[in-house]
Amino acid sequence: MSGLLYKNLRINFSSCLLILIVALVCCAIACVAPILGGPEFMTENDGAMMLAVLYYFVFMMPSLTSNLLFESDESRTASAFAMSLPQCGKGHIESKYWYILIQYLAVLFITFITDTIIYGILDGTFSALILLIMIFCFRIFISSIEIPFVIRFGSQKGMAVKGLTFAFIFFLVMIYFMFGDISWLINSDEPLKAFMKWLQRGNILFPLSLFPFFSIALFWLSCKISVNVFRKGAENYEQ
Amino acid sequence: MNNEKTLTIKRLVIFLVISFLPFIILMPILWNIYGEPIYTSQKENVAVVVYMLGVFGMMIPSCAHLITRLVTKEGFKNTYLGVHFKGKEGYWAASIVVKLIEGWAGLFLLWTVFLKDLSFGEAFQHFGMKDIGAYLLQLASSIIIFFPAFGEEWGWRGYMMPKLLELMPKPAAIVVGGIIWGLWHAPLTIAGHNFGTDYSGYPFVGILMMCLFCVMMNCFLTLVTEKTRSIYPASFIHMINNNLSVGILLMNFGSEAAIQKTDGINNIESFFVLTSASMVTAIISFILFMKKDKTETVSI
Repeated sequence: MSGLLYKNLRINFSSCLLILIVALVCCAIACVAPILGGPEFMTENDGAMMLAVLYYFVFMMPSLTSNLLFESDESRTASAFAMSLPQCGKGHIESKYWYILIQYLAVLFITFITDTIIYGILDGTFSALILLIMIFCFRIFISSIEIPFVIRFGSQKGMAVKGLTFAFIFFLVMIYFMFGDISWLINSDEPLKAFMKWLQRGNILFPLSLFPFFSIALFWLSCKISVNVFRKGAENYEQ
Repeated sequence: MNNEKTLTIKRLVIFLVISFLPFIILMPILWNIYGEPIYTSQKENVAVVVYMLGVFGMMIPSCAHLITRLVTKEGFKNTYLGVHFKGKEGYWAASIVVKLIEGWAGLFLLWTVFLKDLSFGEAFQHFGMKDIGAYLLQLASSIIIFFPAFGEEWGWRGYMMPKLLELMPKPAAIVVGGIIWGLWHAPLTIAGHNFGTDYSGYPFVGILMMCLFCVMMNCFLTLVTEKTRSIYPASFIHMINNNLSVGILLMNFGSEAAIQKTDGINNIESFFVLTSASMVTAIISFILFMKKDKTETVSI
């Protein structure tokens, strides 16, 4: 498995470097902003929103480059070679999943260290730990849906499925905002604070707390499905 | 003493010096700056320092591991960074489940020993959806605590224990490893970590208790690390131990009355009660660790 992981790293070294650079630049900005903004950074400058966007952007990079990881092996020769390895197609696919998970964990580690530094800079007034976990799990969740389609139908169609998934989630949120009970938002001057308070309600917090476990289980299930559909998908690849 | 053994001792000493020095230097400086033991301080800015010290301090053993390997040109064989599931699924599952059960058992023991005059319903009123959600979210947030936990484990179980197991028999290695690990916490224990400063025999009794606890933990942690040849299960155990301790469960599910009552309990007394579940785990782990040893000898 370590050999396959090394192969993935070698093939995608440039995208891996890009993820690292983007993560470090975003985290550096996230650390510098509270220093320049002073104690009022969180209260007056929507600092929390800015940090949330930066963290989300950092986590988006592995997802954006994950297609390259599959594209490089999207040929009959490459897939036939993968199936001829001692680990078979199973090891080949599992290595991709491990590689993606390691990328996300590396990003989670960088953002966690950044968050700890910011916690120190802001004298303990802001910590985005739960937010980081939720973004991490959300990205895992999206990858879990995307990858089996990428493997079965190719990276182009896989990307389309990812787009559809995002559109579906956006659609659900829109429906809630149009027809759901949003009194918690309308009656508030500070939407972010109101949102955090809303999340802590019992009927929201419980399903929300299940999401990390659900997304990790889905990632495992997705891996199993991808292993099963790999051979079928490889038949459709071009020479 | 052959060359191989001398080299192992040298490497171990270098590792320990690098691991121990930061806290030995830092803690008196922090005490001097804030004018009081930082772990018992009520000041908000000190709480921030304590948090940061926890996150970065726990990564010291890993840094020491890395530096020792580089300085002594040991290379990167047997780093325990691989993942081996096959035939070891039980140990992987135990690394998550056992500490969770220990936490609940500790909470139950806390009630039976210290909160006898409150009924269970009175002591733990908060078992609604919101509280269970908060507990599950706390469990999920262990993903983040994994990094500092890995920071300690990769040093102690990933480097120190294999070296000790090379140098001495298994039981001695577990005891010595646990004591070293406990002593590493000594500067923190002196600054009030875990036991505070208000107990008879301070700080020696606290250091002794910490060593005892670390020996117990070391049994389980070494068992899973050696059986799975991987450092991650030990990191899971450590992260759950730190993130879902009895104290955190009490804060989540306990009533005001129960929390107030436990505030007045002697830390050393509560240590014995709360760690009795860990003691059972330690004994079972120790037996399992030794039992396999016999099988290995027979198979040879």
